[in-house]
Amino acid sequence: MRASLAVTAALLAAAFAGAAADAAPRSTAVGVAQREFRISLYRTTVPPGTVRFNVTNFGEDAHDLAVIAPGGRRLAISPEIRAGRRHTLAVRLARPGAYRLLCTKLDHPARGMRATLRVKR
Amino acid sequence: MTTAVAEAAAAGGAGTATGHTLDASLAGGETVAGGGAETAAKPAGKTAARRPVRRRRPPRRKPVRRRAAPSGPWTEAHVNRLFWRAGFGARPDEAAFWVKQGRSATLRYVLDGGPQGSALVGPAPSVEGRPLDPVNEWAHDGLWWLDRMVRSQRPLQEKMTLFWHDHFATNDQDTPLMLAQNRTFRRHALGSFPKLLRAVTLDPAMQLFLSLPDSDKEHPNENFARELMELFTLGKGYSEGDIRQAARALTGFRARWNDNGFGGIYYDRERHDAGVKRIFGQRGRFAWTDVLELAVAHPNHAPFLATKLWEFFVASPPSRATVRNLAGIYRRSGHRLKPVLAAILDHPALYRNLDAPDMVKSPIVFVAGTLRTNGLGVTYQSLTWMLDNMGQRPFDPPSVAGWEWGPAWMSSNSMRVRFDWGNRLIDDDALGPKPGTITQPPASPAEALEQALAAVGRPWISGVTRSHLLEMAARFFDDLTPRTRPQRRIERAEMLQRSLRLILLAGPDAQLH
Repeated sequence: MRASLAVTAALLAAAFAGAAADAAPRSTAVGVAQREFRISLYRTTVPPGTVRFNVTNFGEDAHDLAVIAPGGRRLAISPEIRAGRRHTLAVRLARPGAYRLLCTKLDHPARGMRATLRVKR
Repeated sequence: MTTAVAEAAAAGGAGTATGHTLDASLAGGETVAGGGAETAAKPAGKTAARRPVRRRRPPRRKPVRRRAAPSGPWTEAHVNRLFWRAGFGARPDEAAFWVKQGRSATLRYVLDGGPQGSALVGPAPSVEGRPLDPVNEWAHDGLWWLDRMVRSQRPLQEKMTLFWHDHFATNDQDTPLMLAQNRTFRRHALGSFPKLLRAVTLDPAMQLFLSLPDSDKEHPNENFARELMELFTLGKGYSEGDIRQAARALTGFRARWNDNGFGGIYYDRERHDAGVKRIFGQRGRFAWTDVLELAVAHPNHAPFLATKLWEFFVASPPSRATVRNLAGIYRRSGHRLKPVLAAILDHPALYRNLDAPDMVKSPIVFVAGTLRTNGLGVTYQSLTWMLDNMGQRPFDPPSVAGWEWGPAWMSSNSMRVRFDWGNRLIDDDALGPKPGTITQPPASPAEALEQALAAVGRPWISGVTRSHLLEMAARFFDDLTPRTRPQRRIERAEMLQRSLRLILLAGPDAQLH
């Protein structure tokens, strides 16, 4: 009996060690998958506002993700995302238009790592 | 010369805007334009770029003679056993209802589903008050599926969807493709195995995972052919030569990619090896459909699948006679799954040891079952990392061989997280004592335990556990004196309830079904 109570107490202690708070996403989420040498967008049209690119690198090489405005200006770029890792890149895309997404590494864009996200009202 | 094969399966993928649009304000902790920390997509030490690594299966256990199934009435213990094994548990009122309906009616319900059909019944899933976006939000795919397990009126269909997810294990593919594959598993969950196998072969996530689109007559890739025989249909009874020849027959598929990602699978006859092949001793100009038919017709297929299905539902290995019987049912039905499942779920072995459950709940079953048996919904984002830390994240089996089921689930870390989960349910008042509802200490240990059992869906506990919990309840107030303030006694009574409920939800007995 004493042993079982001790086990119970240990289990309770472990349990009450607690859990992380749930996160609260706000903005338009766009799933993005990267692999050699492609970028897949799970959503290709979004309303104007802040867009959260939830990027997963399914490939074997490191990649990044840059967001290019319709005029050609680079709005944002993620840090290097290693193979098997994830990163959220949040960018405010206020104006309608076609935004280019690409990996800036070496010749990756030329080999296919580019995509287009449309912002529409 | 190309033929569209499975482009429809890419629905929800590139080129389509799916999912729920969220508020336009920025999530806390993230930075606009390039900020934000990189987060781990996988547990430490794992990489997403894994090749389909195959692991060795544990040695088969010898059949053990067990106590005979109790004959006689159809009891709540029978119903609970059936609902846990064939689904994700029964609420107390559900169990009581199906006891009254009897064995045949209960089995019919489990196999065919209720009158509500595919409707989901119960609180809708949400995260922080918002609907799920399974396509675009990380891990919402897993929560979306978990919600189906919790609210489906066809729990066996969801349980079999989980079985096929493990049997045809696929990972590291685009979320829309994984969701499409999940729909395929569900559609064929209890139907015809040949149709399921055909759908899986055409499934884009599977094709990309096992490199079928990279396989042409010049360089046939053996990945799919090998797993088709070893893991999907036969287990043994084939040669390396059979694999090589089948790989030739399976050539011709290609993937289409467009500007925004995957655009579908199609068949290119120019890339198919149309020559003569020799597979399982038969010669012919076999194509991919022929390979599937040859595998299903192979004498090892029916016993292989019957055994694997049995082991998903019953803890003790099947006897040879049982395998022969199940394989015969399967063959005679035209390779349909429901008749085999009906035989397994009606088998006395499923109901052995009702007083000592002997199957370990997998993390997904454990979590979904806790929610389902208590009428709770999927509203916890934290489930994502909890399931990961318990060792079973939906849509992410560790390899092409799937998860290792059974006692392997019970690592020390996994058990700690299972307690975290129970604690979470008690801490946020979902299953904990509501403030102000306990106004005096329990009249007796038995009353305290009964109150706790009623609050958490009356899970099974052994006689030994019951006596330990009663003793714990009896001693819980030992250090208090007659001079202790009444409020402190009430606080202690609340603590006792929390402790009892937590042990009932996550203690050793709760890990078994």
